Amino acid sequence: MKEIIRNLIVVFGFMPIIIFLATTWVWAAQEDNSASSHRWKDGAEIYTKICAYCHDAQVAPPIRNRKLPLDYIRNIVRNGNRAMPAFRPSEINDESLTKLAEFISHQSSQH
Amino acid sequence: MASKYIALPKGVSEKDFDAAINNFRKVLSDDAVLTSAEQLAPYIKTMMPVADAEHTPSAALLATTVEQIQQIVAICNQYKVPIWMISTGKNLGYGSAAPAERGQVVLDLKRMNRILEVDKDLAFALVEPGVTYQQLYDYIKEHKLGLWLSMPAPSAIAGPVGNTLDRGVGYTPYGEHFLFACGMEVVLANGEVLRTGMGSMPNSNTWQVFKWGYGPYLDGIFTQSNYGIVTKFGFWLMPEPPAFKPFVIQYQHEEDIVEIVETIRPLRISGVIPNAVVIAHALYEAPVKAKRSDYVSGPGSIPDEAVDRIMKDHKLGIWNVYAALYGTQEQIDVNWNIVTQAFGKSGKAKILTEQEAADDPAFVYRAKLMRGEMTLTEFSLYNWRGGGGSMWFAPVSQARGSETLKQMALTKQILAKYGLDYSGEFIVGMRDMHHIVDVLYDKTDPEQTKAAYQCFDELLTEFSARGYGTYRVNTAFMDKVAETYGPVQRKVHKTLKKALDPNGIIAPGKSGIR
Ligand SMILES: Cc1cc2nc3c(=O)[nH]c(=O)nc-3n(C[C@H](O)[C@H](O)[C@H](O)COP(=O)(O)OP(=O)(O)OC[C@H]3O[C@@H](n4cnc5c(N)ncnc54)[C@H](O)[C@@H]3O)c2cc1C
Repeated sequence: MKEIIRNLIVVFGFMPIIIFLATTWVWAAQEDNSASSHRWKDGAEIYTKICAYCHDAQVAPPIRNRKLPLDYIRNIVRNGNRAMPAFRPSEINDESLTKLAEFISHQSSQH
Repeated sequence: MASKYIALPKGVSEKDFDAAINNFRKVLSDDAVLTSAEQLAPYIKTMMPVADAEHTPSAALLATTVEQIQQIVAICNQYKVPIWMISTGKNLGYGSAAPAERGQVVLDLKRMNRILEVDKDLAFALVEPGVTYQQLYDYIKEHKLGLWLSMPAPSAIAGPVGNTLDRGVGYTPYGEHFLFACGMEVVLANGEVLRTGMGSMPNSNTWQVFKWGYGPYLDGIFTQSNYGIVTKFGFWLMPEPPAFKPFVIQYQHEEDIVEIVETIRPLRISGVIPNAVVIAHALYEAPVKAKRSDYVSGPGSIPDEAVDRIMKDHKLGIWNVYAALYGTQEQIDVNWNIVTQAFGKSGKAKILTEQEAADDPAFVYRAKLMRGEMTLTEFSLYNWRGGGGSMWFAPVSQARGSETLKQMALTKQILAKYGLDYSGEFIVGMRDMHHIVDVLYDKTDPEQTKAAYQCFDELLTEFSARGYGTYRVNTAFMDKVAETYGPVQRKVHKTLKKALDPNGIIAPGKSGIR
């Protein structure tokens, strides 16, 4: 924190920093810690809440149970493909992406 | 010597950038500072007809707290490193998640995804930038809050903060999203945190219920802008109505659009129809049901004769008017009488409701959008040409019948010159009308890509010469559109920029502002 404050002082001068850090603290204290943040449960959830809207809706080709290689799926998700948007690690992190790829590739064996 | 970065910010040496990156790593964890080509790949893909190199970021920062963002702007000021903000980063057809200028650092706020509050009684939400519509939709359902969202067609994967900050639109009565925004938290370039409106007042609980606060209203200057980084965003939600009646009205002739708009306007202004009315051309609807290659092959735009066949084969009007009624059954019955009488007068309209159209995939997805249900069916548009190229052309006019045919003729003529089809719709907001044209092209075809660029450029030139301003545009054409709004507005924008961000670190180039 000290280093950060030093950094801020270099850039903005002393006075405003004290004020804005102070105000931020007040607000931070008001914040509700029970606020709901998001984490994917599993590959099936990601599939249902992103992929299925196109791939199970005749907008994009079906991809489940086709034994598509995991690396291929990962690669398409990260780079996109023609009109399919790319998905960033901030949306689907590497761990979730692996679960998603497994779900897409081997879905029938999970049921 | 080869750089270890795939791009550098304009005017920043590699040495300084190194130092900035090292400092970013001290603020964020290592895996939240992305610099390799592989890590940055999802930030590079756009649908625009320009080389990806023009919009390649130098890095991406995955911040999760306001304090981190304050520290990031301090570092950016120190090293004069520009950042480009995204919230959910799905600005597809407007620049996607890529920055406006090569070398900008993407500040990706997707991981900042807490739903801070949803108030059932007052029907408002306060969320962080990374919240998607799907996340909020699930939360509302899980907590049985009885509230509806309004969202753009990419619903599930986009989010209310990014969409509203770019002044996007949806299809429920709350569809003009910025009208329903109420209170923002903004990290300014100097690191201060501003809460707009009532949010500036300690101990006030009215931040999400009263928009104006005291003194000049500030929220607007943080939309389509580069004056600050929005970190919290409040907006109003629509209570779920007891009844909902979506409908589509089909017309067979292009000239009928004059009558359509004249009929809609009074119904919209008086509030009989409470949501924006979409008047979709057959070619906007066709991709949900038909393949272009079944009707036409070779270069050039699709001939009218083929469009006629598509209409017949797939039960489409040349114009397909989508709207809905909301309220109690009694209210809907009264308003339905007014609507059917108004549209029925000329004898040209074919009026369909869920009863007749429940199996029609175009109707189904439009109905979902009008009640805030998740769908991505509109992505069918991209199967029309293939190749993933798209730019939204979005001029604004008065909501008058007389504004339609001349706009459509001009658009078709320019598109045809470049061999592209007219995938268009008119949307009657209230007094305004947006003409939304998806300029679809095959981005894997270099010739078509070049043509698409020239086509879009000409559309902007010709429409602005006739006084039609564009409401929003992709990052390759922001300067051009800014120019069409004249020198005084540009000067005011610049003056504000200088005052709020003297080092020009926040999204230089957004809306043509530097
Ligand atoms: C088929 C299709 C249909 C579409 N239909 C619609 C539609 O009906 N209506 C519509 O509005 N759009 C539509 N779009 C365009 C676009 O996809 C949506 O508007 C989408 O909501 C924007 O992406 P986002 O919500 O992820 O916002 P983001 O990409 O996160 O943000 C959009 C922009 O807002 C600014 N911004 C973002 N976050 C911040 C921040 N925290 N602080 C300051 N500035 C910020 C940035 O300039 C950014 O580029 C459509 C696209 C497609 C492909």
